[in-house]
Amino acid sequence: MYTVSPHLHEKGQTIERGMADVLIALTPAAIMAIIVFGFQAFYVMLVSCIVAALSELIMRAILRRPHSLRDMSAMVTGILFAFLLPPTTPLWVVAIGAFLAVAVAKELFGGLGKNIFNPALFGRVALMISPLALYTTKFVKPFFWRATGFFTPVQTVINNAVSGRVVYQGLGGKLYVNTVTNATPLSLLKSGRMLVSTVTGPTPVGATWLVSNGRPSFWSMALGFKSGSLGEVSILALLIGAAFLLYRRTIDWRIPVGIFAAFIFIMLVTWNHPLYQLLGGGIWLGAFFMATDWTTSPMTRRGKWIYGLGIGVFIALIRLVSPLPEGVAISILLWNVGTLVIDRYVAEPKFGEVKKPWFNKVPIYAEPAPAPKPVQEKA
Amino acid sequence: MTIPLNQHIGAPNSPLVSVGDRVSVGQKIGETEAFVSAPVFSSVAGVVKAIEDIPNFTGAKVKSVVITTDANQPKWEPKPGKSVDELSADDIKAIAKNAGLVGMGGAAFPTHVKLSPPKDKPVDVVIINACECEPFLTCDHRLMLERPADLVAGLKLFIKGVGAERGVIGIEANKMDAVEKVRSAASGEPNIEVEILEVKYPEGAEKQLISAVTGRKVPPGKLPAEVGCLVQNVGTAVAMHEAASTGKPLYERVLTVTGQGIKNPSNFLAKIGTPVAALIEAAGGTTDGPVKLIMGGPMTGFAQEEPIANVVKGSSGVLVLTDELVDIREEHGCVRCTKCVAACPMYLMPNYIVEAVQKEDWAKAELWGAMDCFECGCCSYTCPAYIPHVQYVRKAKAEIAALKKR
Repeated sequence: MYTVSPHLHEKGQTIERGMADVLIALTPAAIMAIIVFGFQAFYVMLVSCIVAALSELIMRAILRRPHSLRDMSAMVTGILFAFLLPPTTPLWVVAIGAFLAVAVAKELFGGLGKNIFNPALFGRVALMISPLALYTTKFVKPFFWRATGFFTPVQTVINNAVSGRVVYQGLGGKLYVNTVTNATPLSLLKSGRMLVSTVTGPTPVGATWLVSNGRPSFWSMALGFKSGSLGEVSILALLIGAAFLLYRRTIDWRIPVGIFAAFIFIMLVTWNHPLYQLLGGGIWLGAFFMATDWTTSPMTRRGKWIYGLGIGVFIALIRLVSPLPEGVAISILLWNVGTLVIDRYVAEPKFGEVKKPWFNKVPIYAEPAPAPKPVQEKA
Repeated sequence: MTIPLNQHIGAPNSPLVSVGDRVSVGQKIGETEAFVSAPVFSSVAGVVKAIEDIPNFTGAKVKSVVITTDANQPKWEPKPGKSVDELSADDIKAIAKNAGLVGMGGAAFPTHVKLSPPKDKPVDVVIINACECEPFLTCDHRLMLERPADLVAGLKLFIKGVGAERGVIGIEANKMDAVEKVRSAASGEPNIEVEILEVKYPEGAEKQLISAVTGRKVPPGKLPAEVGCLVQNVGTAVAMHEAASTGKPLYERVLTVTGQGIKNPSNFLAKIGTPVAALIEAAGGTTDGPVKLIMGGPMTGFAQEEPIANVVKGSSGVLVLTDELVDIREEHGCVRCTKCVAACPMYLMPNYIVEAVQKEDWAKAELWGAMDCFECGCCSYTCPAYIPHVQYVRKAKAEIAALKKR
């Protein structure tokens, strides 16, 4: 058999295995989402995955490409997209978002490896800036299902956007609950209902396990007993998954380290409580699972540092100076675009090059000089 | 026996014999005037049957001398040699040249050229590459176990030949038995030390080895002399000692015949020109289901269509793999996972080189380091998309070289 060297291939280094690694790593967070938000969380993830897979199948059929369901990247996008949604999102909204994520952000850009934006984040932000945003803003209290039942089909949940009252229409009839919706820790902070100065050290475990001084305790925030999107709530579960990905070397450590370094630095110099900011939002999900996306992050070591630090700075700035409570998704999407610039200009020192300028003189994608046109001589 | 006349990097040799001539063991049969070259010797006694172009292990056609061997093969009769102290640096270079020594790790660069660094770049350290260039190969390990004294003697010749101050033998930590043997053999030599190195591929690559042993980094596009180093392979050192002490030219070498497809994996002292099929037979033949025959190691070796190639000076191994290890798939587009970038020991951008080659943008291919690549294969080995980076790099190198000639 005649092939070029090398003649060996590393065991377990395939695209499928990389995607499977991410799915395995997301499992603890998915289980925690179901525990905290009830079986509805499972429906959101299920619909997201099915629609993501179907979108890929259909789009690739239309674009006359061979189907690529085997690489499981649609599943990863499906789960990650579901993780970005509040548990009350109506399933038809989930379906639209998942379709946008896979069909537009991935397949229309050319499929896995060619996309500019992280598909899951693209779907989420597309919903955020569309009229459907209305359906994706109602966050609920952790363990709200204790009042309504674990398997309550929240397909029938109707959000009352004005009063904040939520109506459950379970199998056993209608149930009115008005104590279900809840602000996330960060929107609590943003709306001024909780002053930064009230945030002090961790509360002792005990009666104040879930809530202390009107805010979730640090312990409950770390374990996932707080309001938020499906996947972001349990930081512990995310960390287990992240450790697995780092161990498997599926993701690069430079990006999350850069994000956290820049973020914590800005929070410290602006005299904000870094622990509350860290535990409150989706930075863990973003840093370990979104920003480290193979395709949409830079190639070079230097580029990864720039990208990670840049995302950290952007998240901190959005949280501190913009009206938005949270900025992980937008920061990463913006730096997905930044990746194009980074990969075009940032140089990587070769072995033995001690001092290497940071920027390439030759832009990578410079247009070749156009062929000279034949000059027509005038008669 | 088919002995290619061109087994080194450099100018091609012209034959010194013609069809029908009798040749003896160690007789010079090919030579050229050019400096960067190494003469070729007959490894057997016999009659020249033909001189014709025959494909070598890379598939390229090379002018070769085909010899019909005699039934009785005489042994090499040692000629009186001189010790290190009696030889001058120029003598040592002349011995290396006259014995046809080349780098026996695989690159086959003429040794006497390596021993003549530019005058303004003095070499102070000679490093013996005892890392075993590639996985599967054990020929250097075997040589160190069986002939540690010859290795040390060869190193001393190199040190003197190039005017260096000290010598280092770099051995990977998984060959502690060899470390002990070589250490005891070198115990009387104050300027020779044995360094234990991390076990990883490609630790035996010249620039990586220099970095691991001395901490010096050879700049891109430069030779080891730039940082005052000279690297020689174990096999070359032993051959150097043999040439100096017995006058024996390089007509045989130790090589590894291994892989799951081989019944009794072994190391052989094989004569240059031995057909690969004969070596495989000597190693007990193949087991069921061999799918791939490789000349060299698994990472940089050349796959063979049929076992018709012959052993040359640079042959370090013959590898027969079964489908247990051979993993061939259709190439997927790059997913930008950066595993190739992380794997590259030269810190190049393999996937960008591939992209530039696909666009036939040779300036970009060079910018991303195509010319600095030594084709270790780490990028393709780890690539989840199964992209054959090395193939693209070879194309880039050929195209860039052609552009520069113009």
